[in-house]
Amino acid sequence: MNVPDDASAAADRNGALLRLVEVSRSYQMGEVLVRALSDVSLDVYASELLVMVGPSGSGKTTILNVVGGMDRPSSGSVWYGQTDLSQAGDAELTRYRRDTIGFVFQFYNLVPTLTARENVMAASQIVADPLDVDDVLGRVGLAERADHFPSQMSGGEQQRVSIARALVKNPRIMLCDEPTGALDFETGKRVLRLLVDLRTELGKTIIIITHNTAIAQIADRVVHLRSGEVVGVHVNEHPEAPEDIVW
Amino acid sequence: MSVLSTKLLRELRQSWILLLAIVSIVVVGVMSLVAMRSLYSNLRHAQREYYAQCRMADFWINLKKAPLAELARVDHVPGVIESRPRIQFYATVDLPDVAKPLGGLVLSMPAERRPVINDVVMRHGSYFTPQRDNEVIVNDAFARAHDIKPGDTLYLLLNNRRQQVVVVGTAISSEFVFALGPGAIMPDPDQFGIFYVKHHWAEEVFDMEGAANQVVGRLAAPVRQQSGFVLSELEQMLEPFGALTATALKDQSSNLILSAEIKGLGIWATILPGIFLVVAALVLNVLMSRLVEQQRTVIGTLKAIGYDDRRLFGHYLVFGLIVGLAGGAIGSVFGWFMAGAFTNVYHRFFEFPKLENQVHPAVIALGVTVSVLCALLGSLRGAAAAMRLSPAEAMRSKPPASGQRILLERWQLLWRRLSFAWRMALRNVMRNHLRTAVGVFATSMGISLLMLTFMSVEAMNYLIDFQFHKIARHDFELTFESERSADALLEAQRLPSVDLAEPVLIVPCTFTFGSHHYKGGITGLAADARLTVPRDTAGDALSIPTTGLLMTAKVAELLHAKAGDLVTVRPVRGLRRRVQVPIVQIAESYLGTAVYADIHFLSHLVDEQFAVSGVQLATRGGPDERRQLYRRLKELPALQGAASRQETIDNLNETMLESQNLSIAMLVGFAGVICFSSVLNASMVSLTERLREIATLRTLGYGSWQIGGLLLRENLLVNLTGAVLGLPLGYALYIAMVQAYDMELMRLPVVAPPWVWFTSLLLAVVFALSAHAIVQWRILRLDWLAALQVKE
Repeated sequence: MNVPDDASAAADRNGALLRLVEVSRSYQMGEVLVRALSDVSLDVYASELLVMVGPSGSGKTTILNVVGGMDRPSSGSVWYGQTDLSQAGDAELTRYRRDTIGFVFQFYNLVPTLTARENVMAASQIVADPLDVDDVLGRVGLAERADHFPSQMSGGEQQRVSIARALVKNPRIMLCDEPTGALDFETGKRVLRLLVDLRTELGKTIIIITHNTAIAQIADRVVHLRSGEVVGVHVNEHPEAPEDIVW
Repeated sequence: MSVLSTKLLRELRQSWILLLAIVSIVVVGVMSLVAMRSLYSNLRHAQREYYAQCRMADFWINLKKAPLAELARVDHVPGVIESRPRIQFYATVDLPDVAKPLGGLVLSMPAERRPVINDVVMRHGSYFTPQRDNEVIVNDAFARAHDIKPGDTLYLLLNNRRQQVVVVGTAISSEFVFALGPGAIMPDPDQFGIFYVKHHWAEEVFDMEGAANQVVGRLAAPVRQQSGFVLSELEQMLEPFGALTATALKDQSSNLILSAEIKGLGIWATILPGIFLVVAALVLNVLMSRLVEQQRTVIGTLKAIGYDDRRLFGHYLVFGLIVGLAGGAIGSVFGWFMAGAFTNVYHRFFEFPKLENQVHPAVIALGVTVSVLCALLGSLRGAAAAMRLSPAEAMRSKPPASGQRILLERWQLLWRRLSFAWRMALRNVMRNHLRTAVGVFATSMGISLLMLTFMSVEAMNYLIDFQFHKIARHDFELTFESERSADALLEAQRLPSVDLAEPVLIVPCTFTFGSHHYKGGITGLAADARLTVPRDTAGDALSIPTTGLLMTAKVAELLHAKAGDLVTVRPVRGLRRRVQVPIVQIAESYLGTAVYADIHFLSHLVDEQFAVSGVQLATRGGPDERRQLYRRLKELPALQGAASRQETIDNLNETMLESQNLSIAMLVGFAGVICFSSVLNASMVSLTERLREIATLRTLGYGSWQIGGLLLRENLLVNLTGAVLGLPLGYALYIAMVQAYDMELMRLPVVAPPWVWFTSLLLAVVFALSAHAIVQWRILRLDWLAALQVKE
């Protein structure tokens, strides 16, 4: 199965970029069976900023993994355009992650033995048409720190490198797992501003998962999760600017 | 360069200690492979070239005396491509500045230089000249030992006459790569030399005009490996001329020993590297598995970015590739140097015109290939694990390690008595099955190598002591050219400073039992002999039967005979009639294939009243008395040789010591690398994965040395378990080696005195403690506060 990377080709008959249909996911953690998701149905639209909130264990990370092609659901379907990711093989999921998704992790997940530039290059070297590495580093405000190692950077700087790494592939969708979770208040807001600008200026679809309900204020739509289920979805008529939110 | 390559290189630099530990094991494995295969190739090449250069004979037939015209018929026997009659006799050598009479073998050569079978390679001086008849070419080793140069004069006792000969040159021959004197087990150029004389002069001196007493020849290629039929035909044909013995190349003493050494190298070139490379693969397997586990999140991130499994598999496999290439390259270089060192040692034993340490590209290619394959194999599991990890699974925290009780905890009586530190150590060891198994295996391999080494050393010391202090008790053994009467014994008893003289009669003969034959000899001793006391392997004295034979087990094995059987004995000299003789007793023996009989019984067997071929002497006094004795011995007629037991022992010790020291150093070093590196690797891996645990203990108030003590307990548990298993394994390996090396000339004893066990165990502990010293150093330098922040 080919994975189309054109946005217009990716829209399905309801205009959603991504569609989760009754997705469930369980997995074995040591001796315990964990039901991470139960019959989750959800649409994601192009160029929206979607925030999923829920407490720890609500299934946020699992949804992100399923949407990001990192994991397959135990049941249900995950549609990206005409393609059902739940039926895709490993090679197809790899291509999907490479060409369509940009991941930003809570703890940055930078390779400690690579500089900032090299961490971004780790992503740019495997796609056919990446953005310019130095441009992307400049966009996230790290042009002067490009040759520093993660151990020589603050948390905020490391997270910005992580965002640059995700962005350099020019992905359609950026998935952010608690992007401010390891950061202080001010740094966290700067990171959120960066993400908002990527949606506004580059038209990226941004999905943020967080337990911090204050962050939901910047979203176009908010999905509430609890115990692996969607318990509510609401639209923010007037999303707040990241600088104005407080937690 | 790709970013993954950059990542790899930096990670290699960071893990340099671990890398060094594993690479050193690979280096040692490749080093031993390249060294031994190179040595094997060096020797084989040298042997082939030398044999071709000297037109090495395929057979030797000793005769009483045969006319040259009759010997010319040998060339017409099917299978024989050419032959050369020659004259050979043993002689006493009288050097002006040497008190003791020395031994020598005189061989005739054509007066004019031309290619002949068993030719010589000149080293100094020239071949024979037309100037004089009594010219001699001396073998180079003897000439070096006694500083003999062309132009020197010396005296040989030939045919009971003292002959002056003039040295024109020194030479070597492929026939005497390993030049053994009669009854010797090691070359001793101080005591024994080879002297080439003009054939016509030999005819004159030995009363052999128009005749010869030996024929050497070469066979056609198709019959070379199965020369028995041809030799039988030749023996039958030459029977009327007293054909004494026919010896094929494979049984010729020099070739036998050289070929056995080459064969041994071939065996060791497989066993030793095999041990090291298997250990290296296992240790690398542990390291790679740990590395992949440690980099779970990185792997997951790379997969999340879009790296495919194949690329990540290749990335982690390259780690192994680098270990293999580095180990292969360094090991090959070291191996070549080691081959050079051993080649120099071989110069002491083997005389070649050219024995060089050559570069064998095929051997080096083999070393690198095997090294890379081994390292790749070791990395396979880790790389495959990286491939198998799903991105989501990699992002999840690893579930806590199994919390089940270990088996030992069921014995509460013991468990309750153990301290917290020992409980921790035991649990860690028992829960990490693979890592513990690899550590135990590696240590057991190292210790078994030590046992092998020390037992080999002890075996040689034991053999020398057994043969030269328990069996041979004489100070000198005189050998005559031919059998003599009881007068020779009386004459020997009257020699100065002789306390005791005992007769010996050695009768070379062929033994036949059914379809089995063996060419050897019977040693006749007096029933109450004290200067040679045959013993079994338990050290118990064996009594010489008044009639019949006392036979060593090796001879009985070759004949497929047992005690009570009647064997047919046919002496090669004298009347040469076949006689049926009972085997009275069979005894296990270490050295040689000896058969004993009562000297009177044996004399009658060869139709003599009482014959002696030699006399053994027990002497008294110091250097002055010794010099007097030597003076008299030089005048003794028909004396072929006078061997000193002490000089033989000294020569053995000196010759063996050099090669032994090198071998010991090498094998102890190898064992050390295995034990040290495997302990270091396991400890460093353990340290890395338990950083947070260690940091927590530090927070609680544990000191660095206390934490070091925890890891030391684990190391010692694994190490000592490996050592305890390695001790009997080494013992068994030694026994297997003894059986593989079972030769007619010698059988290695199995001796393992307490020092062998104790030293092996002690070294195991020393290696473990040395490795732990590095670990303790790392613990002392650990930034445990930062470790508390580290996330998986």
